[in-house]
Amino acid sequence: MKKITIPIGPQHPALKEPISLRMTIEGEVIKDADIRLGYNHRGIEKLAESKTYIQNIYLMERICGICSHSHTTCYVQAVEALCGLEVPKRGLYIRTLVSELERIHSHLLWLGVAAHEAGFDSLFMYTWRDREVVMDLLEIISGNRVHYAINTIGGVRRDISEQQKEKILEGIEFLRKRTEYYTNLGTTEPTFVARISGVGKLPKEKAIELCAVGPTLRASDVASDIRKDDPYAVYDEIPFDVCTADTCDVLGRVVVRVKELIESYKIVEFVIKNLPAGEIKIKAPRKVPEGETVSRYEAPRGENIHYVKSNGTDKPERLKVRAPTLANYPATIEMLKNGFVADIPLIFAAIDPCICCAERVVELIDVKSGRSDIMTFSEIKRKYFCEKKRETL
Amino acid sequence: MNQQELIEKIKNELGDKILEIKSPSARRIFLTTSTENLVDVIKKLKDCFSFHHLSTISGVDNLKEFEILYHLANNIASLTVRVSISRENPVVPTICSVIPGAILYEREIQDLLGIKVDGIPDPRRLVLPDDWPEGNYPLRKDWKYQPPEEKIPGEKK
Repeated sequence: MKKITIPIGPQHPALKEPISLRMTIEGEVIKDADIRLGYNHRGIEKLAESKTYIQNIYLMERICGICSHSHTTCYVQAVEALCGLEVPKRGLYIRTLVSELERIHSHLLWLGVAAHEAGFDSLFMYTWRDREVVMDLLEIISGNRVHYAINTIGGVRRDISEQQKEKILEGIEFLRKRTEYYTNLGTTEPTFVARISGVGKLPKEKAIELCAVGPTLRASDVASDIRKDDPYAVYDEIPFDVCTADTCDVLGRVVVRVKELIESYKIVEFVIKNLPAGEIKIKAPRKVPEGETVSRYEAPRGENIHYVKSNGTDKPERLKVRAPTLANYPATIEMLKNGFVADIPLIFAAIDPCICCAERVVELIDVKSGRSDIMTFSEIKRKYFCEKKRETL
Repeated sequence: MNQQELIEKIKNELGDKILEIKSPSARRIFLTTSTENLVDVIKKLKDCFSFHHLSTISGVDNLKEFEILYHLANNIASLTVRVSISRENPVVPTICSVIPGAILYEREIQDLLGIKVDGIPDPRRLVLPDDWPEGNYPLRKDWKYQPPEEKIPGEKK
C-alpha cells in the first residue's frame, strides 16, 4: 500500500495549542511520526538574562498557565541554593501545599481532556466541575486562580489562616469522594477501558531509553519520582507512595494519575495538620553570588529542570528551562508508531502536552525563505497581501 | 551507595578522562571532561552507574568559549558533565548512540547556540522558524534582537 504523509496542525481542531505533527500513514496505520516545534516561542530564556532575579520569578510563572507554580518553585529553589538561604519551615510547607493543589487541578483537568478525547464527555464535564473546587481553594490561598504568585526568593508571600485550613480540608474531603468514584468508573467502565487499553504502547525499556518523565514514565512501570529521588522542599518529611502502572498504555496513564490524585489529597492533609508555626520567609540579597546550580522539581507532567548560572550581579548569566513536555516528545513518537489515525488525539493527550511550556525561547522574525515544502510565515503573509491588493484593484 | 562513595567509584572507573569533579551541594555532582572523551564518559556513566536519564543539555556562552552541560540523573544524584569548546569551531560529538532521548536537546543547542553536533541523526531545525536567517544564534551573548522594520501595507509615505 502507498504511504501518505498527512499534516496535523499547527492549527487543528484536535489540538489545543499550536504544534505541527506529520504522520506517515499506510492505510489507517501510522508508520512514522514527526513533530515540528516553534509555533509558540516567546524568547523567555533570552529575556531572563536581562531581568533581575525578582522580576524573573514572575517571568517564570508565565512560562505556563497550568503548572505556573512548578516553574517558580524550581527557579526560586535554584536561586536560594546559590545564595545559601535557609528557608523557614512554614514557608516550605505552604510552598508544598500549593504544589500539591496545583497537581490536583492539573490532573483533574487532564482526566477531563483524556475522557473527552476517548469520547466520554460526561466524565469530562464531571471532572471539570470538580476542578472548580480546587481552583477556588487556590484562589482563597493566593488570591489568584492561575498565576498564584506565592513564591518569592527566601520563602512564600502569603500566610495561611485557621479558617483557610478548614476550607481546604473540606474541599479535599469532597474531592476525595469524587476521585474514588472516578477511580471506579475509569478503570471498570467497559466502553471507556476498551477504548484506552492497549492504545499508545510504550515498553519499559523504550521509556527509559528515550528519557520519558513523569506519569508517562511511571505508567511504563518505572518508579521514578523527583519528590522521592531528589527530595526538595519538605517531601523528605511527608509520607507518600510513588504510583506506577504496568500496562504501558493510555489506561496505565489514567490509573497513575488517578492514584496520584489520592496521594496528593493525603499530602495536603498531612501538610495542613502538621503546619509548623513561625516565619514564612527570610530576606534575600538582591545580588546573587557567583555560582551555578541545577534545580529539579516534579511538576504534574514530570521532571522540570532549571539550570541557573549567576555572575555576582542582580541578573542571571544563564537560565535554562526544560519543561516536562519536551522530554516526552521522543516517547510520543514511539507511542504513535503502528497505532491508528483515530488514536492520535488520545495518545497525544495522554502525555498531557503543554506546548507553551515546552517552547519558550525565540522571537519570530519574518524573512524570505527558499524552503518550499513548508509554507513559511512570510510566504503566507505575501500571499495574503497579494490577494488583498488584487481585491482592492 | 552514598554520594561520596559514588564520586570515588566514578574517579576510579574513569581515571584521567575526568579533568575535574566536584560536589557543591547534596545530590549535585559536576564533572568536567574533554570533547574527545565525552561519548566514552557518558557511556561509562550510563553502563556502570545507571545514569540512564538525560534531563537536558544546556549551553552557556561566556564570550571566551562555549560550555555544554549534559544533565544526567540516577536515583542517587544529578550529575552534570561539562565540556568546553572554542567559539571559532564549536563542534561536539553526538551522544544519541548512547542516549537516544538526547536528540531534541541536541537539535535545540544547534539552533539556538549554533553549535555543530557531529553525527546527529536528524539535523533539521527544531525551534527556530524555517525562514530564520543563517548565522543568527539567539542565545549567544553577542546576539542582539533587532526588531524588523514595521511596514503597513498601503501606508502613505
